[in-house]
Amino acid sequence: MTARTRELGFMVPAALLGFLGIATVASARTDSLDLGPVAGAIGVLAVFIAMHITLRLRAPHADPYLLPTVGVLSAVGLVELDRINPQLAADQAVWMAVGGAAFIGTLLLLPDHRVLERYTYLIGLAGVGLLLITMVFGTRINGAKLWISIGGGQTVQLGEVAKILVVVFLAAFLRDKRELLAVPTRRMMGMPVPPGTALAPVLLFLGACLSLVVILNDFGTALLFLGIFLAMIYLATGRVAYTGFGLGLFVIGSALVYTVVPRIQERVDNWLHPFSDAQGQGYQLVQSLYALAQGGIIGPGLGKAFLVTANGNDVIPVLETDFMFSAVASELGYVGGVGILLGFLVLIQRGFVIAASANDGFSKLLAGGLTAAIGLQAILIIGGVTRLIPLTGVTLPFMSYGGSSVVTNFVLVALLLAISHRTTEGNTPSRRRRREAEDAAIAELEAS
Amino acid sequence: MNRSIRRLYQTLAGGFALLVLMLGWWQIVAADSLKRHPLNQQTLQAEKLIDRGRILSADGKVLAASRARRIRGQRVFERLYPQGTLAANAVGYTSDSRGKTGIESTYNRYLTGSFGTEPFLQRLNLKEKKGADVQLSIDTRVQEAADQGLVGKTGAAVAFDPTTGQVLAMASSPTFDLQQAVTNFDAIPTDGSPFINRTTQGRYPPGSTFKVVTATAALESGDFTPDSRFNDTGSYSTPGGPIRNFSGEKFGENTLTTALTNSINTTFATIGDALGPQTLGATMTAYGFGARPPIDLPDDSVLPSGRLKDNRTVLPNDEDGEDTARIAIGQEQLGVTPLQMMMVAGAVANHGVLMAPRLMQRIVDRGGSVIQRSQPQEMGRVMSETTASELTTMMENVVRDGTGTGAALSSAGVTVAGKTGTAESSDPNRNQAWFIGFAPAEAPVVAVAVVVENTPLTGGVAAAPIAAAIMRAAIEAR
Repeated sequence: MTARTRELGFMVPAALLGFLGIATVASARTDSLDLGPVAGAIGVLAVFIAMHITLRLRAPHADPYLLPTVGVLSAVGLVELDRINPQLAADQAVWMAVGGAAFIGTLLLLPDHRVLERYTYLIGLAGVGLLLITMVFGTRINGAKLWISIGGGQTVQLGEVAKILVVVFLAAFLRDKRELLAVPTRRMMGMPVPPGTALAPVLLFLGACLSLVVILNDFGTALLFLGIFLAMIYLATGRVAYTGFGLGLFVIGSALVYTVVPRIQERVDNWLHPFSDAQGQGYQLVQSLYALAQGGIIGPGLGKAFLVTANGNDVIPVLETDFMFSAVASELGYVGGVGILLGFLVLIQRGFVIAASANDGFSKLLAGGLTAAIGLQAILIIGGVTRLIPLTGVTLPFMSYGGSSVVTNFVLVALLLAISHRTTEGNTPSRRRRREAEDAAIAELEAS
Repeated sequence: MNRSIRRLYQTLAGGFALLVLMLGWWQIVAADSLKRHPLNQQTLQAEKLIDRGRILSADGKVLAASRARRIRGQRVFERLYPQGTLAANAVGYTSDSRGKTGIESTYNRYLTGSFGTEPFLQRLNLKEKKGADVQLSIDTRVQEAADQGLVGKTGAAVAFDPTTGQVLAMASSPTFDLQQAVTNFDAIPTDGSPFINRTTQGRYPPGSTFKVVTATAALESGDFTPDSRFNDTGSYSTPGGPIRNFSGEKFGENTLTTALTNSINTTFATIGDALGPQTLGATMTAYGFGARPPIDLPDDSVLPSGRLKDNRTVLPNDEDGEDTARIAIGQEQLGVTPLQMMMVAGAVANHGVLMAPRLMQRIVDRGGSVIQRSQPQEMGRVMSETTASELTTMMENVVRDGTGTGAALSSAGVTVAGKTGTAESSDPNRNQAWFIGFAPAEAPVVAVAVVVENTPLTGGVAAAPIAAAIMRAAIEAR
């Protein structure tokens, strides 16, 4: 069985899940079966089939489990979104189509991801540039400046795009400087320290992260970038010391930030004592916890939990974005929540397998970094809504409402699949190569 | 680099494992305490999604029901109270912002379907959550008699079957409309405190009705009989001042029986002093004074009766140095609820055995099976059968010849036994007018207590007729 057939096989249960979910939500809504959302579901299915076909044509050896997993997560997310607010679900479906197009575009335009290596610094600058643009042109929503309005009531989160650019930049840069970084030339304060040329951009990056917090008030994205950064340094150098040092700097830095930025203080205080201001600051988190409790073990079922009040407001504010996970766990219970967590675990496991199987340093770092990005993002937001860590405003990949998030994460997966394909293809020589190798071997034999 | 990759994966997987644990904490371990959190509106709102059970009267009338509606595609239930003000304080309401009161609160678990194996089956979505119906022993005909009697007055009336303890009527006035409580609470006028259940929460000086308790103690002690002789000079001196009779009457020679018939204060004061705190206190305890009556209503709406300190805390029934003379005639900061006094009448009626008052009669699930049936529960024997029989005769005299003629049902051929009480205050227009009693005297089916607040009239005039109407309705309803 080829990889693509296997993939198609796994997409069947994913699709069934989606349709079953949509039907359940629809029937919970009225006493009769409403077939309206089914059209949207068929549309999304078509998008995924298009992605699958593109893979068949352009990346037939790619990992077969990645797309179906994305399918399942997207399906659950879309179904839950439909249950909360059908209008947003319709929007999200359209964004998924755009994401699908971006996915296909990536596979078509970037058959060999290694070309990205040539544009290391350009990409890095572009990433920083996007963040600068957000700083200058962004609109403040809920105290954080993450979005840029593009008319029609839609906003884009350029930070999401910057995330990928930064990963690509770091993968290329670290690959280059890997040897330099791995061998410390000096000691500073008893810690092994790499040479300045390698260290300088690294520290610059760190500074940029913290500036993000202060200026944009985006604790979450800064944390995410820092996490990606530390993860990739560790992958590149294999030295835990650097990670430890980086974490240490982070702790000092955030302590500083904590004392200076009131919003961060609120978030941390709220994390430690959510019920002390349950009606004000703590409202979001407390409502999320109540919703989780209502979910219990197997949950009341789709459409049956109390997520929307009688006059149409969300019980948990920003339910569609930050608290999407709470919505799912509230309706589908612990079983559903763990299911989602396992879904993400499968996703990152496949991503790291792709990284480990890759043949060259850049691919390894790129795949590892992209996977770490998704994993860290999921941990950050789910950790926040379950009160493991303070709440941050990052989105839950594939499930939160948000066009930028959907599109960039689809592109991210496309990159992973491209790397995966190239690796497998590189490892299994194409028929032509094999024939060429055979011909060369025969020629050699005859010559001797 | 592969080792690093594997380590990184393990770290992230560890993070996910932590999330699994954390999620399990909120959804399984701490879930119950979160749901019961005082600020948690979600449990409340989740209840609106449930088909709440009905509350029914003994004669099958619907006192509370749920109706389905669709809001934004979601099916929610709203609560209806078709009987309006009937037994409003007893039935109680369930509202978003004001919580729950009365029976709606006590039996919430059953009304929301969270009983027995239901929760498990509902979790598997095999059964839709449907609350069970709670049937009360309140009979609307008896309740109406009570409500009618209290119209335009401030006071309370409560009646039960003394042989089983099942409450037949529970009326508090002024009261409120239950339907309005859930649709437009703020429009309900608050003068007169309509939300207080005066039968269980209102504490009044009992006046002469307390003489039944004193008489019980007297007969039980063995030192007195119904024919014990006393001489009334119109005044009885105590360290706290002289005790006089109502309207300063002088009765001269009297027996225990005639003293009860005519409610002679001096005689009972004498008896009180003769008995002393221990004996009198023991009888009070046996009747349930000092303890919260075990009725199935929320704790914050049921108060114990007894001697009050600062109008709030209840003192022990047998404190040394108390003025037993004044306690014996129902004074000395005694604060009693109508429910407690009904229990007094009930113990006498039931041959000396006090039955615990209950509102719930049975709980039936939507399929028709009875989940719970209320069983009569004895609280204890307050007096011997002989004493009960003697007291009954004495109390029959009160209604036939004495201050309680207003409660007679001779036209219906029913013998009523009872005792009036008029607790005076410094203002002659503000008496608390009482009547407690039971009927038919030879085989009682109803015991009642009525109190009318702040009236210039006496118990025999203001309260006794209301009690008669209630007792008559109870007998006819059988």
